[in-house]
Amino acid sequence: MQTIERSVAAPRTRAPQRVHRYGERPGIAYLFLSPWVVGALLLTLGPMLASLYLSFTDYDLFTTPSWVGWENYRTLFTDDPRFITAIWVTLRYVFISTPLKLAAALAVAILLNRASRAQGFYRSAFYAPSLLGASVAVALVWRVIFRDWVASPDYALLVVAALAVWQFGAPMVIFLAGLKQIPQELYDASAVDGAGWWRTFRSVTLPMLSPVIFFNLVLETIHAFQAFTGAFVISGGRGGPVDSTLFYTLYLYERGFSQFRMGYASAMAWILVLAIALVTAVLFRTSRMWVFYAGDEAR
Amino acid sequence: MRRRAVPRALALLAVGALLGVTAACGGGDDAGSTGGGPVTIRFDWWGNPDRAEVTEKAIDLFEQKNQNIKVETSYAEFNAYFQKLATQIAGGGAPDVLQMDYRYVREYADRGVLADLGSGASKVDTSGVTQQLLSGGTVKGKLYGIPPTQNTQVFSYDFAQWEKSGAAAPKDGWTWADLKAAAQKVSDSSGGKVRGIADLGGIEDWFEVWLRQQGKTLYSDDGTIAYTAADVARWWEMTDGMRRSGAATPAELTAKMDGSQANDPVTQKLASAGFGYDSGFTAKSWEIAGRELKLAPFPSDTGKLGQYAKPAMMFSISQASKQKEAAAKLVNFLINDLDAGKILGMSRGMPANAQVREAVGGTLTGPPQVGFQYEQTVGPKLEPAPPPPPKGAGTVKATFQRVYDDVIFQRTSIQQAADKFMSEAQKAITT
Repeated sequence: MQTIERSVAAPRTRAPQRVHRYGERPGIAYLFLSPWVVGALLLTLGPMLASLYLSFTDYDLFTTPSWVGWENYRTLFTDDPRFITAIWVTLRYVFISTPLKLAAALAVAILLNRASRAQGFYRSAFYAPSLLGASVAVALVWRVIFRDWVASPDYALLVVAALAVWQFGAPMVIFLAGLKQIPQELYDASAVDGAGWWRTFRSVTLPMLSPVIFFNLVLETIHAFQAFTGAFVISGGRGGPVDSTLFYTLYLYERGFSQFRMGYASAMAWILVLAIALVTAVLFRTSRMWVFYAGDEAR
Repeated sequence: MRRRAVPRALALLAVGALLGVTAACGGGDDAGSTGGGPVTIRFDWWGNPDRAEVTEKAIDLFEQKNQNIKVETSYAEFNAYFQKLATQIAGGGAPDVLQMDYRYVREYADRGVLADLGSGASKVDTSGVTQQLLSGGTVKGKLYGIPPTQNTQVFSYDFAQWEKSGAAAPKDGWTWADLKAAAQKVSDSSGGKVRGIADLGGIEDWFEVWLRQQGKTLYSDDGTIAYTAADVARWWEMTDGMRRSGAATPAELTAKMDGSQANDPVTQKLASAGFGYDSGFTAKSWEIAGRELKLAPFPSDTGKLGQYAKPAMMFSISQASKQKEAAAKLVNFLINDLDAGKILGMSRGMPANAQVREAVGGTLTGPPQVGFQYEQTVGPKLEPAPPPPPKGAGTVKATFQRVYDDVIFQRTSIQQAADKFMSEAQKAITT
């Protein structure tokens, strides 16, 4: 605990000076920011706008796109049963994998929060699967280990979800940092009041941790909507068997790169962006009911 | 402090400018090296490690003979190869020489991606290749792909196991019912551990042979679908019947078949026979399969064989290539050079160039020799290849396999699946 307090306290002593210096020359900040600003404009915003345009065209990757208006969007919602399948598969995956992953991350974080000499080792060990997270190799190994389940339309999706849950390292580290921030006095006080473990968890840990839970929930939900690698590798790129692992992104990829219908795929990408924005907005709305920010009550 | 900020900002700008310059240099490289000096070309293809070994050897020989040309190669499995290729071409990074499939050549040619191999810098000597094969790479009168080899459909089986099970070996004029009976015997005598045959129902290629046996084709000359949902349903009735009776592989195993050796039930010794192309047999085939296989023509109920001499694959040159001459030299070498032919052997099928074929024929041993002999015996009965299929044919093939999964996992009735397939296939061809 000591080291953390020091690292938190350290910048505070120098902070006022710095603010003053930056305030004097705002230009230099933008100069330092410029590589990222340029990157964001050229590599993210530019392609996004391009894909927005393409989503209103018929574009086969090689020849000039031709304008078709809302045609791609219309076909998606009225004449493409696999699009609907892909939405259901993705929603099921989000609802299965996200809560399980957060629960696993929180459980392990609580275990690791106890002072122990080997803490550093355990923390690294539990984080390791996430380091390998995006790697194709892990998904390949997963595919071999669970080969009998992967081949079944009833279980294939669960295998992909299990792979995601297993990679709980990132939210775990964030939970761990959040747990360390909960003041010891609160635990001392609840101990004095005679609260048991469960009561302390419910009345101290969870409310104090709720902003971190919220943060992880938003992040992991967005990740789950965009899941691709695991499903691609485990299903051999086909989303099978019987479209049971036809993730939204997988179908998008198939339309764009196997069938050369990039305009159509772009429309799908924009629907995904809007869907994620909507879900995130809903999460933020509901967060008012359950997320507790320490210090708010002072206002 | 204020004074020092300006030089710092300038230094940063200078670094940025430098980066810009280096980027510009990177882009300028290709243009600078066209004249005389050494050039590097890229050659991408699909295949397995076995084919990679001999291809690398042939490329080494080519580089020896052409000291000023360096060849970079890369390969992948069929499906992955075409996904990567599309991305590369769209991004302006197409390989100079690429392996092209009969099913995709019209699609790519129509989109202006391939160079004409009959004229200009990319002209290749095709005098050794029969016109019948070249027509497979010809779109609207121009040559966009040259087949280095031809192949044809083949049935291969573990003859030792068939004998042991008392299954009748395929002979001239055998029928689909004969196949089912033999496969059933293998399954029964192994207690279901080894199935008689790897389920063939989802592969459009084998459906095509069956269609042709009845005088029909996949596509009409104007590029529309030439069969009906009833045809598909009858085919699936037959193949799914073999699955239901246990003669063919169960759904879980069939769904994993993706064209790779690793997921082939025959290689895994979970099935004793399967359909394929005779270009698939390389020096290590028996080693990989763990046993020797024998080859036979397709069964047929009509007396018509339905198989045809197919351009096993083609070599094409990308229209965007800046090194068309060097690329044409490589294609020429791979197709016409006798030494290259001997190195490559049957790894891509039987050589299309008559002289190369003769030279190769004498040098073969093991599985390639078996393939070569099969090709020689069945040769006279083969029909000429149909014209290259229309745009979207690749999607139709993928759809055929995907919808067949519905059948074997019993998600819908066969008739419903056939109707669903037809409506998706029509959409893929017309849009």
